Amino acid sequence: MSVNFRVQLYCLLLMLSALKGEGRYLQENEVTAEGLFSLLNSEVKRESSTDFIYRRPLRCLDMLSVEGQFIFSADRPQLNCAAYFIAEPGEVISVEFSAVDIDCRRGDFLKVFDGWFLKGEKFPSNEDHPLPLPERYVDYCDTGMPRRVVRSSQNVAMIFFRVHSPESGFTITVRKLINPFPCNIISQTREGSFTMVIPHQRTNCSFSIIYPVEIQIEELSLGRLGSNDAPVKRSVPGCGGTGDFVELLGGNGVDTAKMFPVADICYSLKGPAQLKVGCDNAVMRLVSSGKFINRVTFQYRPLDHHELQKLKGNDVEDFCFIE
Amino acid sequence: MKLNFLVSTVVMLVALLPRYECRAIESQGAVQQDPGPQSDLQQQSLPFLVRLGEEYFIRLGNANSPLSTPNMSPDAPSATISRALQLHLTQRLLQGKVGNISRLVSSYASQLDDSTERGKRSEEPPISLDLTFHLLREVLEMARAEQLAQQAHSNRKMMEIFGK
Repeated sequence: MSVNFRVQLYCLLLMLSALKGEGRYLQENEVTAEGLFSLLNSEVKRESSTDFIYRRPLRCLDMLSVEGQFIFSADRPQLNCAAYFIAEPGEVISVEFSAVDIDCRRGDFLKVFDGWFLKGEKFPSNEDHPLPLPERYVDYCDTGMPRRVVRSSQNVAMIFFRVHSPESGFTITVRKLINPFPCNIISQTREGSFTMVIPHQRTNCSFSIIYPVEIQIEELSLGRLGSNDAPVKRSVPGCGGTGDFVELLGGNGVDTAKMFPVADICYSLKGPAQLKVGCDNAVMRLVSSGKFINRVTFQYRPLDHHELQKLKGNDVEDFCFIE
Repeated sequence: MKLNFLVSTVVMLVALLPRYECRAIESQGAVQQDPGPQSDLQQQSLPFLVRLGEEYFIRLGNANSPLSTPNMSPDAPSATISRALQLHLTQRLLQGKVGNISRLVSSYASQLDDSTERGKRSEEPPISLDLTFHLLREVLEMARAEQLAQQAHSNRKMMEIFGK
């Protein structure tokens, strides 16, 4: 038999055997065109979208990682309340106020902060955030505020609020929006992987992991992508804090400006390079001059108790422990 | 013939796929607000430095003690490591301490230099939160559990709707 004829015969046999099994399955289920195209049915979409607005009461201290409506209603004066929002690394958060019933003149307030505040420290730091600090606050009580929708610059945001009267309250609607070039991220999980890209922007981006972790850098691409380019020769050891480089920071706060540099790399590399950081917070920070496209791919996993104890035993320092 | 078929398939897919709202991102999604009288905000607001009560602050016997001045360690760990990054790490551990101290000092100095009294007040959050990392992780775990439960619920709803 010729090759062509054999190929055609095999195809025919394959189709027949597929139809023998799958065809019967399809027939028994009576899949119709109407069912197949129900995804495009606007009625179904409306029904599904209205059913899926998640609602629940907002607590005085709360953390939200879902979209939905959150209603705060004070049963007694609540003077020190905060709600943290966190989304996926490639998302930003939109907060919309509605049904706000607070007495600004009495000292009630409701403020959105573009980032997180923790133990007196803020993330992203002043130098890494695109806005000056006063503009990172949006106060509902500000008479000049025309809109009630506020969008964050990164995947985290928070609100501070205080109400004196038990009848006070408000509703916020939280949505997540796609951010195609995420910069300044806090990881929701203690393990995962991420690729951070800074495309021709003079900016510094941080990926913060609030757990003791082992970080493995899979690939780092700094500067020009041409393989013929010779690596930059530096007269001083290390990266010198200039140009394009990636640095790994460790510390017990969230402000990257107050963390200790653990390592820095200013040359492209391929292949896994591992580092254990036994700090409360480990940050991968990519510093970019804006002249090139810089990219770093890494993954991280939590350190177990045994590894943490070993790190503490080996290290002479009194703060977080690095290996 | 094949090209015509391919083109017509692409056209149909483009026509039938749902459109997503295009959003121009100017500077990594800047906070949407009027650039108006934010400077007046601090003048009008009441004093906002309030210590948080024991309602949220949990004192734990945290093994990671607060940051103390790091000591210079001239005896770096000897090289039992083989990777270039780890050797570089050893160097950075020694150099980075000095660099970090100067960075800390310069960052604090610049904060003090740049801030007026109004600016100083804007540096502080309206509420002082003594939230520890441990508590933050606890509430984060709760939020994740809520997200997974909500996702499972919405998946179930989807299956019910499309099963009709």
